[in-house]
Amino acid sequence: MKVRRKCKLLVEPPSSATGDIAFNLIVFFLVCASIQPDSGRSQEIPRSEENQEQKEEVENIEVALTGNLNAVSINGDTVRTAELRSRLTKMLASKTRAQDKIVIVKSKIDTPYHHWIDVTTEIEQSGGQITIQREEQQTIQVQ
Amino acid sequence: MKISRRPLAANVPSMAMGDIAFNLLIFFVILAKATDDSHLQWDPAETVDVTRAGAAKVSVVVDADSKYYLNGQQVGIAQLAPQIEQILEGASGEDRRVLLKVHRTATANHFEPIIEAVSEAGGTIMHVLEEKRN
Repeated sequence: MKVRRKCKLLVEPPSSATGDIAFNLIVFFLVCASIQPDSGRSQEIPRSEENQEQKEEVENIEVALTGNLNAVSINGDTVRTAELRSRLTKMLASKTRAQDKIVIVKSKIDTPYHHWIDVTTEIEQSGGQITIQREEQQTIQVQ
Repeated sequence: MKISRRPLAANVPSMAMGDIAFNLLIFFVILAKATDDSHLQWDPAETVDVTRAGAAKVSVVVDADSKYYLNGQQVGIAQLAPQIEQILEGASGEDRRVLLKVHRTATANHFEPIIEAVSEAGGTIMHVLEEKRN
């Protein structure tokens, strides 16, 4: 006996929802594309009160920055930025304690951020721990 | 006797689709806007050896006009330290990370007070930079 096959149901994906699904997918990928992961450099800067305590005990290296991108000053001696790392590495080699490796960065107000980043990168790569010392501003009223 | 089979309707209910799409749209817009500072104009400085900054509760931007923004909202430099401290209250470890997005030509009188404010608030600074390509 020949058994007849049951009639097949035609199951089509609902076409009314495809527009909404496509729209959701567009929104999803747009959001994914707009969120780019940030990259950068982590930096730990000791609190100012700790610095004052340490300053009394040890003589730290001072690096002064100006608007001149090609030169910096280490303890008053002007050196080329390219030579900064080698000079600092030599100076820090003899220092063993963590507090001795603190390098005080003093910047003139016109020092651009990219130069500050370049110099602090060199200091960190030579083994120094950065701390900043800001120029004090005083307002004098003339009567 | 031949019994005729009733046709079955196998349709996905389309009534709720519009609502679902609308809700998803709102969800993603809010998610994207929550810490959005993409409208701010700033160019990152370049450096070698960058790492993934990751997510942070606090993001400080100094834009091309040297204006300060805390999580996308413009603030004054005096408000920065107490507001950062307030956001970071109770946070520990990596949650104390503060993303610092400074325009590459911003000068020290603009970015150093922020570093000081973050340091005062007990945050860990993460300079957002671009990798230098030779």
